[in-house]
Amino acid sequence: MKRGLIAWDRARLPHAALEARLESIERVCDAHEVPALVVYSDVWRSNDARYVSNYMPYWNRALIVVPRGGKPILLCSLSPRVYPWIKSVTLHEEILPSPNLPAQLQKLAAERGWTRVGIVDFAGLPHELHAPLAAGSLAIVDVPRSAVRPAATQSEVAMHRHAAELARRSLANALGAEAIGVTDHVLAGRLELALRREGAEDLVVLVSDGTTPPVPARGARIGELSSAAVALEWSGHWAKVARNVAGLTRALPPTPGSTVWEESLSGPYPWTALAEPASAEQTIVSVQFELPARGARLYYGDTCLRGPEGLLPL
Amino acid sequence: MLNRERYEQFIALMRERSWDLLLFYGDGWRREHFRCLINLSYSGPHALIVLSRNGELTTIVTDPWDLEPVRSASGGRVILVRQLADGLREALAGANAAVTAVNGLEQMEARLVAALTEQLKVPPVSATLEIEEIRRIKTPWEIDLLRKAAELADRGYDRFARVCEPGLREFELVAEVEAFIKAEGAEDNFMLIASGGTEVTGMKPPTDRALARGDSVTTELTPQVNGYYAQICRTLVIGEPSERQLEAYRIFSEAQQAAQDLLHPGVDIADVARVQNDVFRKNGYGEYTGSKYTRVRGHNLGLYPDELPHVLENVHYLCKKDMVLIAHPNTYLPLSGYMVFGDTLLVTDTGCVSLNRTERRLFNT
Repeated sequence: MKRGLIAWDRARLPHAALEARLESIERVCDAHEVPALVVYSDVWRSNDARYVSNYMPYWNRALIVVPRGGKPILLCSLSPRVYPWIKSVTLHEEILPSPNLPAQLQKLAAERGWTRVGIVDFAGLPHELHAPLAAGSLAIVDVPRSAVRPAATQSEVAMHRHAAELARRSLANALGAEAIGVTDHVLAGRLELALRREGAEDLVVLVSDGTTPPVPARGARIGELSSAAVALEWSGHWAKVARNVAGLTRALPPTPGSTVWEESLSGPYPWTALAEPASAEQTIVSVQFELPARGARLYYGDTCLRGPEGLLPL
Repeated sequence: MLNRERYEQFIALMRERSWDLLLFYGDGWRREHFRCLINLSYSGPHALIVLSRNGELTTIVTDPWDLEPVRSASGGRVILVRQLADGLREALAGANAAVTAVNGLEQMEARLVAALTEQLKVPPVSATLEIEEIRRIKTPWEIDLLRKAAELADRGYDRFARVCEPGLREFELVAEVEAFIKAEGAEDNFMLIASGGTEVTGMKPPTDRALARGDSVTTELTPQVNGYYAQICRTLVIGEPSERQLEAYRIFSEAQQAAQDLLHPGVDIADVARVQNDVFRKNGYGEYTGSKYTRVRGHNLGLYPDELPHVLENVHYLCKKDMVLIAHPNTYLPLSGYMVFGDTLLVTDTGCVSLNRTERRLFNT
């Protein structure tokens, strides 16, 4: 869960960079002839909102409304008591208490005289939000995610790279000789300590003992055939890295015939299977291998940039 | 593993409601809708179970690492797909279901609901509230897990209290506690924190603020053990507590005790909130029991750390034996700033018992 350090590092993400994203969204509004664009967020689908305003919910759902020519408005049901904190780590100056998100969006639209708005990936909204909006009088234009986040920019790539470096370093330290014999719970604890201290916001640790795929810790002992995978969110950017105690690696990009699973790390969810692996746009992906070795299954994987020229490890 | 007792209850519910299919949908956030039947933490962005009235199970997963664990846990058919909608079409091909209910329908992506409707020719209905009601009454196996989670919350708080010191930054404190709780077997943990004085109005994720003498440091720790969350709320003062902090704690402690004294089968949960708020009113702090200063006076616990019903004066629900909930009168007071205090409570035949063993006091370093 997102219980790490949620901050706004203005050196890595200058105010101007976020303003440029908003300007780009204004052009999306123009292209779709809508006076405002809406982005959904919840505690597990927070990537797009973080991109737009640096907002990251530690709990619950929210909508970010970007009016054409105006500042982004946050509709959320978190207590107004945490608004000062939200304002300190995001672009938001206006936050509207919204226990009912569709109703609040419709009210805001009525107040502003909007008869239609764009919603990023409207069909991806939770049914509970989608149904009242689809049935309401406010016309909804379904705007594809690619219009708002066309490709990973250099600054985003740098953030994912940093997250991947943290994951690789922590795994290298945690899977050394001293790991042999400890439980996977202890291993997960060591990774938590190292990565939360580095400011990880969210962290998922999965461990394989060589007989199963990587799974949540279950009390198994770490042995020479064990592997661990870390999915790490740092400053709103995910990385996923797997390493094994035996030190077995696999060349990236993968050779034909390798057992490989590729996921997008810049989609709405932290990681999602790529429907079309050969995307022409720059996408941040996780590439995970299953390596047969010594009668067991070892795992190795990393975070890469996939673009027109192929796969580049970050 | 398949929760066999729930499985039987859900089949009975399907027969009672004349549902042909009952689907259990979970995403990365709301996993409880899935895990109430197959208690396993999947890795993919979503997973879905199709339960037919004759008891057959088909599970759709979207991450290859989920395939074997789910197959092993469910004993049924498992389909691995990149897009969940494709799995729905495959799982429901040829299904002749007049009525399909979905547990977790509210959180399901609208495109999946559309795919479901297209496949079955009839829109699904929500089963969420009815399943929630079944889940509120914990089975003996679930109570055992909640006891373990509460025991881990106690040990986690002990760790919290031991590492707090001036200069430690909030996120470093969280790192220490998270590491401990994970190393001791927690699957996950929901944790909020705050530090400071009367300027602090609520808890949130950790910042880089360094703890200082005189601070109240508040936390709610909510470790998850094999799917089930238990919670503890305590406040700690860095250094010696002031008279005002002690006075605030006395009010919080009395309020929580009032809830614990009242809670028993048949009591309206609104009254569990009311008796807590009455203590604040009696002490002249009634205005701090409203939504401007606080969220809830407790909540149900289980596969989700903030289950319904919430403990609020305007929420009416008759408590039942074997419910597990936390009563916490957490709020802002001008005496101390935001303060928290609460235990996980198991409703018994005649009252309730706390599953926590942590001392009931205002902690200090």
